[in-house]
Amino acid sequence: MNKTGDSLILSQAASRFRRLAAALMRGFLLLVTALSMAAVLLIILYIARDALPFFRLAGLKEFFASTAWYPSGRPASFGALSIFFGSAIVTLGAMAVAIPLGLAAALCLSDILPFAVRQAVKPVIEALAAIPSVAFGFFALVVFAPLLQNNGGNVLTVMVWLILLPPGLLLTYLTAEASSRGIREEVAPAVKWVMAGVLGWLLIRGLLALADRLGGVTIDSGANALNVSLILGIMALPTIVSVSEDALQAAGRDLREGSYALGATRAETLLKVVIPAASSGIVAAVILGVMRAIGETMVVWMASGNAAQIPKPWFNVLSPVRTLTATIAGDMGEADQVLGSLRYHVLFALALILLLLSFFANLVSEWVLRRHRRRMSGGQK
Amino acid sequence: MNDSPVMTRISETVVPATAAEPERAHVACRDFSIFYGQNEAVKGVTLEFSPLGVTAIIGPSGCGKSTFLRSINRMNDLIPGCHTRGTLTFDGKDVCGPRIDVVTLRRRVGMVFQKPNPFPKSIFANIAYGVRLEGGKNRDELAEIVRLSLTRAGLWDEVKDRLGDNALSLSGGQQQRLCLARALAVDPEVLLMDEPTSALDPRASAHIEDLISELRGQYTILIVTHNMQQAARVSDFTAFLYEGNLIEFGPTAPLFTTPREKRTQDYITGRFG
Amino acid sequence: MNLNSRKALDRSLTGVGALAIGLMSLSLVILLGPFFIRGSQAFVFRATVEHRRLMFTEFARGGQDSLNKELAAVKQARAPVFAAMTRFEEELPSLPLERRGALRKEYREVQRLVRSLFGPLPGDDPPVLLREVYGQTRWDRALVKLDELLHVQRWDYSRIGQMGRQVRDRRQNTFAGTALEPLFPVLEGHLGEMLRPRLTFYWQFLIDESRDAHFFGGIGPEILGTFYLAFGAMLLAIPFGVIAAVYLSEFAGSGRLVSLLRVFVSTLAGVPSIVFGLFGLAFFINTLHLSRSKSVLAGAATLALLILPTIIRAAEEAIKAVPQTYREAALSLGASPLRMVLTVLLPAALPGILTGIIISIGRAAGETAPIIFTAAVSVGQPLKLIETLSQPTPALSWNIYNLATEHEAVGEIRHVQFGMVLTLVLLVLALNLAAILLRARLARRNRG
Repeated sequence: MNKTGDSLILSQAASRFRRLAAALMRGFLLLVTALSMAAVLLIILYIARDALPFFRLAGLKEFFASTAWYPSGRPASFGALSIFFGSAIVTLGAMAVAIPLGLAAALCLSDILPFAVRQAVKPVIEALAAIPSVAFGFFALVVFAPLLQNNGGNVLTVMVWLILLPPGLLLTYLTAEASSRGIREEVAPAVKWVMAGVLGWLLIRGLLALADRLGGVTIDSGANALNVSLILGIMALPTIVSVSEDALQAAGRDLREGSYALGATRAETLLKVVIPAASSGIVAAVILGVMRAIGETMVVWMASGNAAQIPKPWFNVLSPVRTLTATIAGDMGEADQVLGSLRYHVLFALALILLLLSFFANLVSEWVLRRHRRRMSGGQK
Repeated sequence: MNDSPVMTRISETVVPATAAEPERAHVACRDFSIFYGQNEAVKGVTLEFSPLGVTAIIGPSGCGKSTFLRSINRMNDLIPGCHTRGTLTFDGKDVCGPRIDVVTLRRRVGMVFQKPNPFPKSIFANIAYGVRLEGGKNRDELAEIVRLSLTRAGLWDEVKDRLGDNALSLSGGQQQRLCLARALAVDPEVLLMDEPTSALDPRASAHIEDLISELRGQYTILIVTHNMQQAARVSDFTAFLYEGNLIEFGPTAPLFTTPREKRTQDYITGRFG
Repeated sequence: MNLNSRKALDRSLTGVGALAIGLMSLSLVILLGPFFIRGSQAFVFRATVEHRRLMFTEFARGGQDSLNKELAAVKQARAPVFAAMTRFEEELPSLPLERRGALRKEYREVQRLVRSLFGPLPGDDPPVLLREVYGQTRWDRALVKLDELLHVQRWDYSRIGQMGRQVRDRRQNTFAGTALEPLFPVLEGHLGEMLRPRLTFYWQFLIDESRDAHFFGGIGPEILGTFYLAFGAMLLAIPFGVIAAVYLSEFAGSGRLVSLLRVFVSTLAGVPSIVFGLFGLAFFINTLHLSRSKSVLAGAATLALLILPTIIRAAEEAIKAVPQTYREAALSLGASPLRMVLTVLLPAALPGILTGIIISIGRAAGETAPIIFTAAVSVGQPLKLIETLSQPTPALSWNIYNLATEHEAVGEIRHVQFGMVLTLVLLVLALNLAAILLRARLARRNRG
């Protein structure tokens, strides 16, 4: 309890002690925080330290320009170009799956779905995000790869139908509508239906023919770039969906209401007003998804086929490839036995490239987000 | 323990003490200004608050009342870029001085905030929080202090059977009385109340006002309010602040019936505010 | 565009969105479906008498008497099979020469498959490998072996101009007229009595060690290893993470140093998991020598680095979300900043912090790449706590990879692989669910 004369003034010593104690505490907290962050510096240091010997001994040219990857051959060659290509193409493929799906899903979640459905969908996204990558890899290897190998044609057909049918139908409808413009009232509906029927029939015929062609395709190896791209795309989906959804929400109700009040449909509001306003956040989401895809190890190690080659032709996603991460994971077991060899160091060189790529992507996304924040609050272009 | 009609200070029932000393509970300022960066929010105020009396600080929103109040217990330290000029004294010492023990200051100058802010803990733990900071009380002493504080705040009968309940389960008015009890439990000499009823319904507000009247004479009470009727009901002295300047200060009744300054008159009659 | 087209566009956007959500949900179902269906078969399956023999001999489960009774009945049921084989072996030298070679080859196949069904044949030397001591423990695998025994695969090139195709013949036909011929219908018709399958709930799959490289037994060591790694990572990361979060949100201000520290946090979050693994090897093992070679300690340290940014972010968010008035109330009662943090701020931020921790545990349990070089081995004993400081361990995540790719008999132990995946996925999903529930419950407490 406050006794009489509870002093407000501290003695010189007590005041100094208090200040010292406060400074010490801050210093301790800062030290602990800095230690955690020093980890990043250490990581760069150790990876670079073991990567540089490779470049010093073997130079840059073969590494970056040659596709001959035979680290255990005599003589050994370390042409990593095909590995870079492998990483690039599966990332590209993953984004081709994840960006359209992810954006559409984010739009749906933020603006279209009623609250109850949204609450039901959120667990699906969280579940997808939580499933470990080795489980995805197992699925890709044990379930999906045999499926592709035994029923390749059918799977491809289903995929192509899925991709082409919705836009095809939409195009049919729009063309039919457009064609009936400027025509007299009584005839217009008939014209519309005729147009729709003709185009629709063409669409179905085209798709069936495509299905025929594809049905005959046999996939030699179920572990290939397509397999991995699809699975990686699904793995990157939760990231893209949640970050994009945040960005879309952050655009704000006022913006949307302004557009609706002018008589725009929801699609127009979303496409012309909301998405542009949220564009930086969406770009950041995509970059995060790319980082996820590039840095993923287990799925590509198990199901990419692990062939260090550039397919012929380069866009043949049905052939096996090899990525940076899988190479590091796969070769390290043997390379570790021969510490100090080129074989050991080249893996660190690959890791350094990976690290630099992820740093770069991180910086870009931070810059994008900061610019977005400034634009939202400051209002300069 | 019985409720004697003469309210004794809580400290006296647990630790015998001398009679209340008005000099210790004296708050005054001279030429006191508060800056947010470059912006001068309170401009050169000179005041002496009546010890153990109730002083109301009134004025339109944004005139610096809350800022002024918060500087008395150094709560403005939490706001970056806030600095002061002039002197603000409590118990004869400059509150913004170099070797001031802010922790002790805040125990002797208690605060009730505008929006009730009980901790997400039990009712008992809320009241005991400040007391436990100093330590040295056993379970029985703590229980007694809690009982006394809740009685002081007029809440004891309503919660005596559920001291373990979450404080957030109380109504708004009850929560504010809880915050008052919590502030009283550390036995302050001054009570700062920053618009304590603005977030409450009329009945709860009346309850708080009754409490203030009961506590008068035991604590120096400074109450910031934008409700003039409340100021008139509850306070002995009133200070009118406008745009950071002290316009008028004096006993409440004369200030409201025959204000000296025209701006005071305009504010009271509602010509602006 | 006219109004109808605009409306059509609007409706199709809705449709596209719904399609995307539907595909996403469908992919989750397609992903989890096989895991649940085939994974549960590691726990619930029709177990044969060989399984019960294994349980008794290796794990001391089941009663001696009931087992002996079963073994006697089974011996009786199998007798015709062994008898046919014995008769055939006696008959073989007297068969015509042209047939003898092919028959001998086929017979060796039959012998192999009968051994795989029932274990050692009477007269065999005691096998060295454990997997040869027992026959098929699972009825579904036994049926696969039976099919393999009853049929011969061969290539049919008879159709001129067309690709050769595989056909199946009944092996019985190959042995037509020999003493072995009756073996096939007997096996086909009475395998059930020879193996006595019974629906079993083998929950001990979760605690048993594996025997003979996962041919038999369970995944106990793997689960234990995963727990060690995840909790070790948590123990290491929580203090650093929470302290860093408290510093960043309460004491650091907003200067250049703080922005730099924040950049570091997000950079750490972006490092690929395999790079963490390499760093763990190069730093914790080869430089700091936390252990001579792989160990749980090194693996947990590496995983701790991986989950550190998540914990810092979650804790910071939780702390920032605590209303300013709580801080003010505590300070106004005379608490020092440190006391305020310890007695009011952290307790109020606890739901968010705990949620972040629980989700991080799930992440640490599921990660593979960081532990490949630092902690994981394919087979091993369950570790005692003290051994975790210096010994490596099997772990669910690593062994899923290992069993599915580098194992010698990948096709034989599919049920173990799926069982492992199911266990890991359920573990992670359960942790996430716990985090969500905890967050909801404690948030309700905070709101009163």
